[in-house]
Amino acid sequence: MPSAQQQPFPPQGYIPAASALPGIELFMPAPVVEQEQAVVDFKCPQCGATTAYCIQERGLTCSYCGFYEPPHQAVVGKGAEAFEFTLEALSRAAHGWGVERLELQCQNCRAATSLPTGKLTSTCPFCGSNRVVQHAGDQNALRPRFLIPFGVVPDACRELATHWLGSSWMTPSALQRLARLAEFVPIYLPFWTFDARTRADWEAEVGHSETERYYEDGEWKTRTVTVWKWESGRAALFIDDLLIPGTSRLSAVLLNRLKDFDTRQLVEYEPRYLAGMQAQAYDVQLEAAWQQARAEMREQTREACCDQASTSEIRNFSMTLDFSDETWRYALFPVYVAVYRYEDRAYQVMINGQTGTMAGQRPVDWGKVWLAVALMLVPGLALALLGIITLIFGIGVIFLVFGLILLIVGGIFAFKTVQKAREMEHV
Amino acid sequence: MSELTLPVDIASVWGADLEPRFCPRCDWRYLAQPGAAATRCPHCARAELQPLAAPETLAFATAEPELVAASTLSAEALAQCIQEFAASIPFAPQDLDPATLRGRLQRCYLPLWLVDADAQAVWQAEVGFDYEAASHREHFDDNRGAWDTERIIETRIRWEPRVGRLQRAYHNVAAPALEADAALRQGLGVHDLRGAQPYAPALVERALVRLPDRSTADAWPDSVPAVQRVAAQECQQAASAQHIRDFHWTPEFSGHNWTLLLQPVYATYYLDDERQPQALLLHGQMGQVMGARRASPQRAQRMTLILVAIAAVLLILSLVCGGVGVLFPPLLIAAGLGVLLAVAVGVGALAPIIIVWRFNRQQAGE
Repeated sequence: MPSAQQQPFPPQGYIPAASALPGIELFMPAPVVEQEQAVVDFKCPQCGATTAYCIQERGLTCSYCGFYEPPHQAVVGKGAEAFEFTLEALSRAAHGWGVERLELQCQNCRAATSLPTGKLTSTCPFCGSNRVVQHAGDQNALRPRFLIPFGVVPDACRELATHWLGSSWMTPSALQRLARLAEFVPIYLPFWTFDARTRADWEAEVGHSETERYYEDGEWKTRTVTVWKWESGRAALFIDDLLIPGTSRLSAVLLNRLKDFDTRQLVEYEPRYLAGMQAQAYDVQLEAAWQQARAEMREQTREACCDQASTSEIRNFSMTLDFSDETWRYALFPVYVAVYRYEDRAYQVMINGQTGTMAGQRPVDWGKVWLAVALMLVPGLALALLGIITLIFGIGVIFLVFGLILLIVGGIFAFKTVQKAREMEHV
Repeated sequence: MSELTLPVDIASVWGADLEPRFCPRCDWRYLAQPGAAATRCPHCARAELQPLAAPETLAFATAEPELVAASTLSAEALAQCIQEFAASIPFAPQDLDPATLRGRLQRCYLPLWLVDADAQAVWQAEVGFDYEAASHREHFDDNRGAWDTERIIETRIRWEPRVGRLQRAYHNVAAPALEADAALRQGLGVHDLRGAQPYAPALVERALVRLPDRSTADAWPDSVPAVQRVAAQECQQAASAQHIRDFHWTPEFSGHNWTLLLQPVYATYYLDDERQPQALLLHGQMGQVMGARRASPQRAQRMTLILVAIAAVLLILSLVCGGVGVLFPPLLIAAGLGVLLAVAVGVGALAPIIIVWRFNRQQAGE
């Protein structure tokens, strides 16, 4: 170890700390100072007008003088800092923000406004100034520390939506033409991301088909029987970046359909990204989101255990699953939200602001659906009927058998079609 | 203090009238009460201690005794330990009798250096703070069709770097005072120093006190790791942390003060088949015995001869039975059994010799 004479003491970046023992001096690394500014206002340094983040330009821009400033944060990706489920963090997360609304004074025109604590951004209704609210201090770990910037430009959204409206045969033919699509609103939505290792020990009875010979009615016959054998194993998974929506204000079904975000594009949070945009804070608590995530993780692990069995016939399955290395992050992900009207009814549609994946409600033309169901069932029914009629001639058995097979296959497809139609309409 | 000067007055240091003695065989040096009966050397038991007549250097006699480790072994426990030792040797020599061993017991003290020193240092380390995190264990059963969730609270450690300076005094840090300390620890075990009491002359009455044969200059490097351990614990305490690791420091020491701690042991001996004394040391707190274990080949041979004689008698009787059995056939069976028994006893007669040979060979190897 270098002597004290060769190095300055204390080392750079160290500050004095309280010592519990006389005669011993203590120094610790200086804590990183988080920015204190509770509310950030965006003004153009050139002309003083209000600036906003432009998705197309991927930076802060002034629509008056053309000022442009890119954000300063580099991509951190999967190396983004994650937090453990300490009792302290869970307790802090459960208590939330502590206030129902924030009282803010506009730094530009001094007008007083009131903002629900669930909102992270606002535009002054009096002077149009853009503001980003930051809850610093004790809530450090529970303010968004990362986000994925918008990659899909607003102009592309309408085209995507129009194409999507006409992409399913189940929707009314006039939907694409008559649907009145409102403007797509870019909004940063809160998401929790979870990482964990799962290790599960399982055991189950696994069925193996075996043929056996038996003597009946004066002759040897063969039959297939299922022999059950106990099997056991161990499965270990690392589940990386499982996303759970942190907001309950939008349809969870739709959010789950478009959460194919690429977390390798995560950047460190910077207020510039939110200037002029809408952004929501979480209202789904960490513990509730983790419960949901755990449910998904254990199902993934259970499937991995079942895959280890030598056949897919399983009974009396039991498993014990241990979680370890659990971490979480709170981040903002980009989503476009819009509403369109068709026949005096409103339907919601969302676009993943990074990948362009669409999810939304669409009206179903049930006439088309039932016609399709009928077309799937009729051939089987007709063939079966023919088989019954021609039974007396002997060949009816063949028609009956094929008819029943067609009926079963048609029935399965019909069931899936109706299910898909229901999913499309109800979210 | 000059370790190598002849003391002016041992009594003024020890508070008791003690005279230096030495063993002419192994040169171990002791302090003993003057006029006490001749005592065998507790270390080798091969010679009686002689007074140090010549005014030669008497190393370390002026080292002051400060503490005495508590002697917690009761008389009953001591007797039990001796009993167990004697019973652990198959075909023990005749002289290895618990009562004989007890009768030869001599109380002794083995020295340990204690040093006080002031330390100034710059240090660095990583300190660990405990925190609790929640984890889960889930159990699924097909028959119930539901998951059971168990919440587990785990204690984890968060490591943070710290640097600092210290200026502290360290007291009574132990260091070996004998060259044979490592062997003694291995054979006897370590003494529990927590209940050590201040030295009083009455404690060494009728006891032998082994003098150090290791200088403080040699012992000091052995103390430094112990001081460092104490310093690391203090730095952990100063940081209000629960753990510490990777502790490094650059210390400067001053104000050394050396004293002695006396560790109680008991010495005795027994005579083996060659009438050679075998020294035994007993730990004054735990009763663990250190010393040579020698089984007696003579006793084994005696046992073998007895068994061979029995086998011979059985064989003769069997042969006689066999002779009579020619006329009275049932006796032939008895004769056959008798021959078998004689052979078995004859073969078994080798067992004592083999047991003793193997035992002594094993002990010599250890």
